[in-house]
Amino acid sequence: MSRKILEVTGLNKHFGGLHAVNNFDLDLFEGDRSAIIGPNGAGKTTLFNLLTGYHRADSGRIIFGGTDITNRASHQIASAGISRAFQITNIFPKLTVLENVRSAVQAQMGKAFNVFGRADKIGTEETEDILGLSGLAEGSTMVAGELSQGDKKKLELALALAGKPKLLLLDEPTAGMSLEETRETMALVDRLNEEFNLTTLFTEHDMAVVFNHARRVTLLHQGKIIVEGTPEQVRMNETAQRIYLGEHR
Amino acid sequence: MLSSAGGEKNRGFIIGFYRRVGLSGMIAITLGLGFLLVPLLPGEFPVIVAVEILILGLFAMSFNLIYGYMGQVSFGHAAFFGLGAYGTALLFRACQAATGEIGYLDFFLSLSIAIPVSAIGALVVGFFCVRLTGIYFALLTLAFGELLFYVVFSWYGFTGGDDGIQGLLPPPFFRDTVNYYYFTLTVVAIAVVVLWRITRSPFGYSLRMLRENQQRAAFLGINVRLCMLMNFVIAGTFAGVAGALWGPFQRSVSPVLLGWMESGIAVFMTLIGGAGFFAGPLVGSVVYTTLNAYVTRFTIYWPLTIGFIILLLVLFVPGGILSVVDARIAAYRHRRESNANLAALSADGRESAQ
Repeated sequence: MSRKILEVTGLNKHFGGLHAVNNFDLDLFEGDRSAIIGPNGAGKTTLFNLLTGYHRADSGRIIFGGTDITNRASHQIASAGISRAFQITNIFPKLTVLENVRSAVQAQMGKAFNVFGRADKIGTEETEDILGLSGLAEGSTMVAGELSQGDKKKLELALALAGKPKLLLLDEPTAGMSLEETRETMALVDRLNEEFNLTTLFTEHDMAVVFNHARRVTLLHQGKIIVEGTPEQVRMNETAQRIYLGEHR
Repeated sequence: MLSSAGGEKNRGFIIGFYRRVGLSGMIAITLGLGFLLVPLLPGEFPVIVAVEILILGLFAMSFNLIYGYMGQVSFGHAAFFGLGAYGTALLFRACQAATGEIGYLDFFLSLSIAIPVSAIGALVVGFFCVRLTGIYFALLTLAFGELLFYVVFSWYGFTGGDDGIQGLLPPPFFRDTVNYYYFTLTVVAIAVVVLWRITRSPFGYSLRMLRENQQRAAFLGINVRLCMLMNFVIAGTFAGVAGALWGPFQRSVSPVLLGWMESGIAVFMTLIGGAGFFAGPLVGSVVYTTLNAYVTRFTIYWPLTIGFIILLLVLFVPGGILSVVDARIAAYRHRRESNANLAALSADGRESAQ
């Protein structure tokens, strides 16, 4: 039995009259690969924002690796080992690909405040590894803002991988990618999960991706959990079919 | 044949060196060597101008840690330049009062006091300013700058109010302009090397991350406010070091050193030279200070002149002087490389034909 890594209980978030996340519970065990699905506005991104400290929860608790991280600052949660890749690419456009990843690696090494070290001598091996893993080793001297959309997404993921997170949150990792790039990216996610036992939680609109890659699926609708279970169970669920899967067969 | 091979080798060395130190490194080294020779120019005036170039250049470079590297505009950076200048001047005057004339040890002590004074000042001001970004950050730095200006301006009993502090006569060796010039050159050179190291450190890259994308930097584990505060203190301290050198050279300090016009000088210099380059503010200082020194000989309309220059610059060279040089060099290299590629291509062609 693997160790419980994330335990979310009774999480709530309102935006004015909108109950964006409604009494949300989730357990993740080490090495899990889970997906959260749901129509637009279901609360998936808000949930990620709560988990990473970007929004404050109105109530509920988030326990990560045995520590309560509810409403901690984003940088503290990141240092604790939760890393996040964004739906809309969120990179450092004027730095090179190498500098993007290296800076992220150094931040996770706790070197962000190192004033007298040389940036080009610290964490270089790990940077190379991540660039290799994410298929960015070639052209790593390119300025990130000039990359193709697919490569920007790869860099987005590479940044999230920097510093070896314990839990990786992926917000629509394949949105805007070609079929080929989608396959490559998800193969990388699977590989990270299987080889390095990296716990992964992702949201996705592409049901083929969800049902091929997630081991457990949570369907969210209007902030509430509708059904939670294996992909098979969710697929067979009538409510799920009615409110979401019907349009995504 | 032989000499052309040597020339080729030399050029290879120069290009290799350029790749290693970059445009800013080349500019800094060239300027450094040039500065060594300034006292050979006829008369004392060029040396006086050169001292101002160095001091204000360091001031502008410290400003660029906040502007060019961290991506925030400070309109109150002169507050720390002035705090450094006043810290030095006050201790200087106290030593003079105690012993009649200041000794060398007291002189160096007076200069050093600028470091803690400006650092603490920057820590207090920065504590509030780093809570905001963008225009709000800029306005708050302006507000604090003016606040400190008025404190110094009005506190007659301690700072001398709008009279400032006069009669800061350094020890005999430093009274000679050329000696003071080389002393300034040494201090500024050391400060520039330290600044260079900082911008190349992991911390320097953390600053760039904040400039590009604060939100993502936070999600990667960087404590954004603490990082901004630390940079604010570092920048303020270097401004204070520059300020310390000002008083003993001018023999006086006055409240305008803390004012928003003085802060504006750092902004102008940085825009002239290029905020995207480490050496940009220094180049800006060379241009600004030299123009100021020589233009004011012919006309009293200096603000009009500099206003016109800034206007042209913002309209036509928004990246500053160094951005033009950089683009020219890039174009040259591109041409050379594509020529080399062509040569290689034709060599390939010959080989395959054989």
